[in-house]
Amino acid sequence: MANPLSPSIPPSPPSPSASFYDMSDDEEGDYNTIMHTRTGKGVKLLYSKSKVYVHPTPSAKDNIPGFIALIQQKSSSLAPTSPSTEARPTSASSSKSVASTSLLLAWVPESALGDAYDTYVKVDLSDSSSPPRQSYLVPEPPTSTTTHSSLGTYAFAVPVSEIYSLLVRPPSLGWWFGSVVINTRAGDSFPALFFHDSECESTILQRKKLARESFDPFSDGGGMFWGGDEVLRWLKRYVNIERSGAEPSIYLVEPTADDKLNFGGKPTTEKVRKSLEEENKNTPSKKRDGGMDPITKTLKEARWNFLEKLSQVTTFTRRTAQAVAENQNLPPQVRRLMHNPQVQTLQDEFDSARIYLARWAMGIAEQSERERMNRIWTAKDVLEMEDSAVGEFEILELEAGNLSLSERRKPVTLTEWNGWFDEHTGRLQITPDEVKERIFHGGLDPEDGVRKEAWLFLLEVFNWDSSKDERAAALNSRRDEYIRLKGAWWERQIEGNSTPEQAEYMRDQKSRIEKDVHRTDRTIALFAGEDTPHPDPDSPFADVGTNVHLEQMKDMLLTYNEYNKDLGYVQGMSDLLAPIYAVMQDDAVAFWGFEKFMERMERNFLRDQSGMRLQLLTLDHLVQLLDPALYLHLQKLDSTNFFFFFRMLLVWYKREFEWNNVLHLWEVLWTDYLSSNFHLFVALAILERHRDVIMEHLRGFDEVLKYVNELSNTIDLQTTLIRAEALFRRFQRTVEAIDKKGNFPAPNLRQRKPISATSSSDSVPKASASGADTGAGPASSSGSASGGAASGSGSGSGTAAQTKQQQQQQNKGKQTQGGQGQGAADAKPKEKVISPELRQLLSRKVEKLDKKEVRAHGGGVGT
Amino acid sequence: MATRKKVLLKVIILGDSGVGKTSLMNQYVNKKFSASYKATIGADFLTKEVLVDDRIVTMQLWDTAGQERFQSLGVAFYRGADCCVLVYDVNNSKSFETLDSWRDEFLIQASPMDPESFPFVVIGNKIDVEDSKRAISNKRAQMFCQQKGGVPYFETSAKEAINVEQAFEVIARQALAQEEAGDFNSDFPETIPINLESSNNGCAC
Repeated sequence: MANPLSPSIPPSPPSPSASFYDMSDDEEGDYNTIMHTRTGKGVKLLYSKSKVYVHPTPSAKDNIPGFIALIQQKSSSLAPTSPSTEARPTSASSSKSVASTSLLLAWVPESALGDAYDTYVKVDLSDSSSPPRQSYLVPEPPTSTTTHSSLGTYAFAVPVSEIYSLLVRPPSLGWWFGSVVINTRAGDSFPALFFHDSECESTILQRKKLARESFDPFSDGGGMFWGGDEVLRWLKRYVNIERSGAEPSIYLVEPTADDKLNFGGKPTTEKVRKSLEEENKNTPSKKRDGGMDPITKTLKEARWNFLEKLSQVTTFTRRTAQAVAENQNLPPQVRRLMHNPQVQTLQDEFDSARIYLARWAMGIAEQSERERMNRIWTAKDVLEMEDSAVGEFEILELEAGNLSLSERRKPVTLTEWNGWFDEHTGRLQITPDEVKERIFHGGLDPEDGVRKEAWLFLLEVFNWDSSKDERAAALNSRRDEYIRLKGAWWERQIEGNSTPEQAEYMRDQKSRIEKDVHRTDRTIALFAGEDTPHPDPDSPFADVGTNVHLEQMKDMLLTYNEYNKDLGYVQGMSDLLAPIYAVMQDDAVAFWGFEKFMERMERNFLRDQSGMRLQLLTLDHLVQLLDPALYLHLQKLDSTNFFFFFRMLLVWYKREFEWNNVLHLWEVLWTDYLSSNFHLFVALAILERHRDVIMEHLRGFDEVLKYVNELSNTIDLQTTLIRAEALFRRFQRTVEAIDKKGNFPAPNLRQRKPISATSSSDSVPKASASGADTGAGPASSSGSASGGAASGSGSGSGTAAQTKQQQQQQNKGKQTQGGQGQGAADAKPKEKVISPELRQLLSRKVEKLDKKEVRAHGGGVGT
Repeated sequence: MATRKKVLLKVIILGDSGVGKTSLMNQYVNKKFSASYKATIGADFLTKEVLVDDRIVTMQLWDTAGQERFQSLGVAFYRGADCCVLVYDVNNSKSFETLDSWRDEFLIQASPMDPESFPFVVIGNKIDVEDSKRAISNKRAQMFCQQKGGVPYFETSAKEAINVEQAFEVIARQALAQEEAGDFNSDFPETIPINLESSNNGCAC
């Protein structure tokens, strides 16, 4: 799906020859959203209203008072970017009206205002029934435009042009405060703002005034005038606001014809959402509606809507997922829907309803989770959320003293980063582990350019103990080396001094690379343009055009193809290179970053797929150890090959998260802070998040694959990372406990010979333990010939010759004793054993293939 | 496993990377074309309900990665297939030449009961590209299909939605016929254990 924002703006092509450091200043601007206008000039405060609260917890004492305000910024200083778009969009929304892009709707806590407080009060109390006559300048609020980056603060300022809708809920006297929820076009929602009208002087005055003028304090809607009305009135002065016909609590901001259609007609499932949400909001104290269970009630109404929807989407296609995603803010309580008898009936009637509903419920849960992201995340939150069998997550220990958890989860800025280095020598003054710990928990600032520098350390292009001068020298020689490598294949191509086979291989690879580059991350502004004529008129892409960055990508991949002849270019590599190039914006530097990244990713691309198999097998063992119930279910679904994680593992979740999150995830993974295979714990975290749905609703391998594939772009990164860390700790403790029990970690050799002997086609000699067939991988060869998997020695990943009977036998063994497969092992008492694959997960050392391994299994031309 | 009320037809789409497998599938199911589909990684499928004569059937169209090394993991999806679609790009002779090996690979991996009669359909895609770029003539492709025992052949453009419906209608019919033929062999195991490792027996390595 093309990003509608990017193609119209051709990116400014940076000179590829420019030095690495030269680039930064200019480019950094692009990273910024509205936060970079710290010119001191301030912004124009058009309207404000006091005593607007955020309620972070059900407890009133945690309420945070603040102001909602409409602010005008100079439009030139503004590059409004939708939070969901990529790291480097240029002025993306240029097509929108100047008025709405320069306007910000903001919420600022009182405590953050400082001297500006008086101005806010003054504007609040000034007559707002007409446009402001006098302009009040205030400092730009310390805010963020996204719900994601505002960890630790609720303050936000969102360009009005980015607001999709407002969910407006008038107050009910004595029951609840009126509230407004802002939904952005990117699909985010900001926390509900509660208008404490009785404390708000301006609202009280306005009510009095209305009462004087009309002797009727109840304004147009029939309800009592309240703060939310006022906010709508502000906005209506500048943009078109339309109340949804289908959903009276939704006010659409500058709706398109489509929006009107969607919200104009018949009631939709939004109804369910709304009433459930109301139910949710009023917990715990105000649940007085009584009578019918609201879920049942809304279900009755919703039933026909479901059926109607389902008739359009009998197949659970991406469109379905989209429809779910549009149902914003559904509370997790809806998960209970799945247990409701009426839903069960619905499921029986419609085969695909089951999956539709499962996904819907999950989408809801994710959404409400995202809403909660504006809170400071603690492990306790995650704990509250989880109800999986893996169960109660332990509170993460707060090691490394001084930093609080929320501090630790703040991104590392360029300033913080630079502070770690000696200003003269440029040598790191703290330990690499301390750096990694910070990046592991907080990531790097996406906007200030720190990635450009830090990634080179994480990727080990730079040594951690290097000086500034050494790094400069290293870069220079790397540059020369890249030019030399690039020149080599270029020359050979022109001179043609290669065998016909070589030439053909090169031609194939070249066209493969070209095809893939032209379909890699084209929604990112950097790669979107097609304004340059293609250098090769015979290329299939000659008539669509190209751009300098695509051409650089091709050159880098062709160079890598030559550089690592044993492996060559394989699909997926372009996905791995694109972020590195986009961050570095220097082909030579990016090439070496990529080359280093590939050292650890090489195993994913081997011709015999042994590296992928090993990882999938390790995941298999991990699930057996930590969630046997889920494992058994997956076994029933013929899904223990874990193939549904193939894409995620191959390109490190590149297709599952949006661009910015991919960058964040990768830098976290590159730290190897807990494990060099932390990506497998990320997989487990995703799986655990969805285990209930999988166990209750999915009934076949195809359904699991489809379900997991369609999680793409619905997974919340922050909570996934927290969960992954908790799972790692749990794993670590489990291993320790088992080791303690068994005295020694590596018990006797399992008698697995019967299986490996029958798998005649298995050419791998290392038929040890459960890794028999995947023994070609690097890790298992390093592992001793010790026990099978955690509980059941990889029976789910059986061998070629494994018959159904054997499988059943193994299943039986597992169910009765969680034991170790078959043969002599059956006689053993129940005992969990840590397989070498699992033990490897405790290592922080990156598993790199040696050259021989690559030569043997790479499938390139070096063989 | 619960028995499905409706007929489910499993169709596997194979062919070199970049010939347009994903595009064909999306054009058929979603009536959409995008020039910027990403390279398929792993496998995915789309389903579509269609009416074949008077029967409603659900087609499950499996799309896999085109680079052949990824096929060794794809064996799990081949099993139980009712029809295999071989796609090539009419402007790329290499993608035509590999059709044979795609076919062989499929027959080995899927090991259908009767390989001789297993239905294939060949699609030559991207006929919207200017004629001067065309590498494989209609005639040559027809001959190839003739040699393979009269495999149906279609020339399509996923981009322009040319002939896509027609091709998939034949695919559906072929698959349904195969599925019904298979029903007579009720002793065929209902589920086949799918194991990663089992792909070793047929892979090219």
